[in-house]
Amino acid sequence: MSNDNQTTKKQPFIEIKGISKHFGDFVAVNKVDLTIFKGELFSILGASGSGKTTLLRVMAGLETPTEGSIIIDGIDMTHIPPYERPVNIMFQNYALFPHMTVFDNVAYGLKKEKMPKGEIKSKVAQMLELVKLSEYNHRKPDQLSGGQSQRVALARALIKQPKVLLLDEPMAALDKKLKQNTAFELVNIQEELGVTFIIVTHDQEEAMTLSDRIAVMEEGKFLQIGPPSEIYENPRSKFIADFVGNINMFEATILSKQASKIVVNCPTLGGQHEIDFNGSIADDIESITLAIRPEKIMINNQPPSSENTYIKGIVEDFGYFGNLSIYRVKTSDGNIIQVSKQNRYRSERIISWDDEVYLSWEPSNLLLLTE
Amino acid sequence: MSAVLASMDATFRERLWKKFIVFIPYLWLLLFFLTPFLIVFKISFADPVVAQPPFTPLFQNLAETSLLEIIKELGFFSGIASYIQYLSISITFDNYLYLFEDSLYVVTYINSVKLAFISTCFCLLIGYPIAYGIARSPQPTRNILLLMVVIPFWVSFLLRVYAWMGILKTKGLLNGFLLWTGIIDQPLELLYTDTAVYIGMIYSYLPFMILPLYANLERLDIRLLEAAADLGARPWRVFKDITFPLSMPGVVAGCLLVFIPAIGEYVIPALLGGADTLMIGRLLFDEFFMNRDWPVASAVAIVLLMLLVLPIVYFQKRQNQELLEQQ
Ligand SMILES: Nc1ncnc2c1ncn2[C@@H]1O[C@H](COP(=O)(O)OP(=O)(O)OP(=O)(O)O)[C@@H](O)[C@H]1O
Ligand SMILES: [Mg+2]
Repeated sequence: MSNDNQTTKKQPFIEIKGISKHFGDFVAVNKVDLTIFKGELFSILGASGSGKTTLLRVMAGLETPTEGSIIIDGIDMTHIPPYERPVNIMFQNYALFPHMTVFDNVAYGLKKEKMPKGEIKSKVAQMLELVKLSEYNHRKPDQLSGGQSQRVALARALIKQPKVLLLDEPMAALDKKLKQNTAFELVNIQEELGVTFIIVTHDQEEAMTLSDRIAVMEEGKFLQIGPPSEIYENPRSKFIADFVGNINMFEATILSKQASKIVVNCPTLGGQHEIDFNGSIADDIESITLAIRPEKIMINNQPPSSENTYIKGIVEDFGYFGNLSIYRVKTSDGNIIQVSKQNRYRSERIISWDDEVYLSWEPSNLLLLTE
Repeated sequence: MSAVLASMDATFRERLWKKFIVFIPYLWLLLFFLTPFLIVFKISFADPVVAQPPFTPLFQNLAETSLLEIIKELGFFSGIASYIQYLSISITFDNYLYLFEDSLYVVTYINSVKLAFISTCFCLLIGYPIAYGIARSPQPTRNILLLMVVIPFWVSFLLRVYAWMGILKTKGLLNGFLLWTGIIDQPLELLYTDTAVYIGMIYSYLPFMILPLYANLERLDIRLLEAAADLGARPWRVFKDITFPLSMPGVVAGCLLVFIPAIGEYVIPALLGGADTLMIGRLLFDEFFMNRDWPVASAVAIVLLMLLVLPIVYFQKRQNQELLEQQ
């Protein structure tokens, strides 16, 4: 939340106003409005085909929008060709020039600026140092691994120090460790150079770790925009809740509505619950979705000592993931609840199949979803 | 152990199979290229005679008895051995010397190379934008455009050259049109000039330039062009830096496909060219069928082949060397 307050104080840097992109009858991007601030690391998160790449291409000037306008740093860029925009894009498939060496690929943007040769040389060397590819400057792209190609593409896009850097799935080809390292590198680069980043991804973990703010996109529209914690803890709809991490969702009936409190009855979660709610619900709605994330449920072989409500269940299935275990617990009314538990001790007696278990949670962890 | 043997057997069989597959095209080349080449090569070292065939044999049997008779007499091996003693080999380099003595041949070679070279350049200049346009057009239009490039092949080549005679002659379609519009008031002398030959050559060989270029440009990844534009390259720079270098294999293929047949072209200069349009193809025809001087004609053909093959071999070698150096 504090993050949000910080950013709103800043000047809007990129303003996207009512941008749409149609391909024939198909609407890839549908009237998107978005304001991004200077130096922000902004992620667009969405399923495959939701229009992320298309929106990025519109920003880079590679696609003319069907309607709407884009303003970058106070200048209307809607009809400016890509080679005159202060924007660089890193393509989903890298698009490295196959006939040029790593050095020439990275130097290309500077050569087009007619920068003197010596200066180009030192800048490229510096940039290759940053992405840890100094020994590879004479290689051709087809002699690089996927991760190396990705870093060349990043260096090539970064070297012009654009005002805005658009990254399309910058880490899709990397293994988990390299992904984490690169994510940290990206954050460092962003802090060092003060570039505004817009990162497209369909990996919610990547979006969470990297971004100041996240926009969740579906069918060409933004469903919710906010800091990672807000998207995760206060998803606006069932779709977002499910898309960003795992969540248990159950039907509940509304018993009473007060100003900021709602009392619901959810048989699966053990009956009545009183929940803080400051959204608005239409009067005629009687059923609602009650949701809770797996890591916010405690699982035990004995009834919990606290006064929290608890329910009983049978472990139907479980998976061991090293750092945590995920249990699928069948409740008395036949629903399945997912619970994840940190494996805090090496010699912990793992709860196993068909064990009877007790599930409990802090009441504040329950979430109401109307849409 | 037996599994290892079996797998070795499999790889061995595979290797044999691969060799066999590679062997077939070699056999083809051997039969239909090397054999005729060797025959022509042999004839180029003979003297012309008024006989059938019109050249002296390479080997002459001075014993004046046939090989079969000698073998009958002396047995197989000693028969052949003594036969060889009676063989005389007659080789003359006169035909080649003659080519360089008579300036007509040298001038004709230079003229042919020039004609083929200029035609190739024009084909490239005209063919590249066409191929690019086709490769960048949407799928249904693309097929129609490609069809239009290929359709002339459905009409006999000779017929198409005749059609050009109709267009280019003094009272032909082109002059008629130009006179009618009033651009000229005297008909242009086009037919039987070098200009007519160029028009005919460029027209006939353009598809051979367009098709390999199209095949190459169609595979070009548009993302690369977008990446270059994104990095600040204007459209013309994008073409110079990315499109053209990446289409080089297509350019080379197209140029070879035009240049090589163009240099030996016979029909177009014969029908559209004037008496002073000197082309190797015509010279070859004249030597073979007018003068019936097969040895000189063969020498002309061999020199032409060398003229074409040596530079290509040289370039290929250099390219391989460059590739090696890069690695
Ligand atoms: N040039 C085009 N012509 C027609 N349809 C297109 C074109 N480009 C994209 N689309 C369509 O627009 C939709 C959005 O595509 P886009 O590439 O933006 O998706 P994305 O969110 O980037 O997906 P992914 O995560 O798979 O990369 C897709 O359904 C796609 O088929
Ligand atoms: Mg995409």
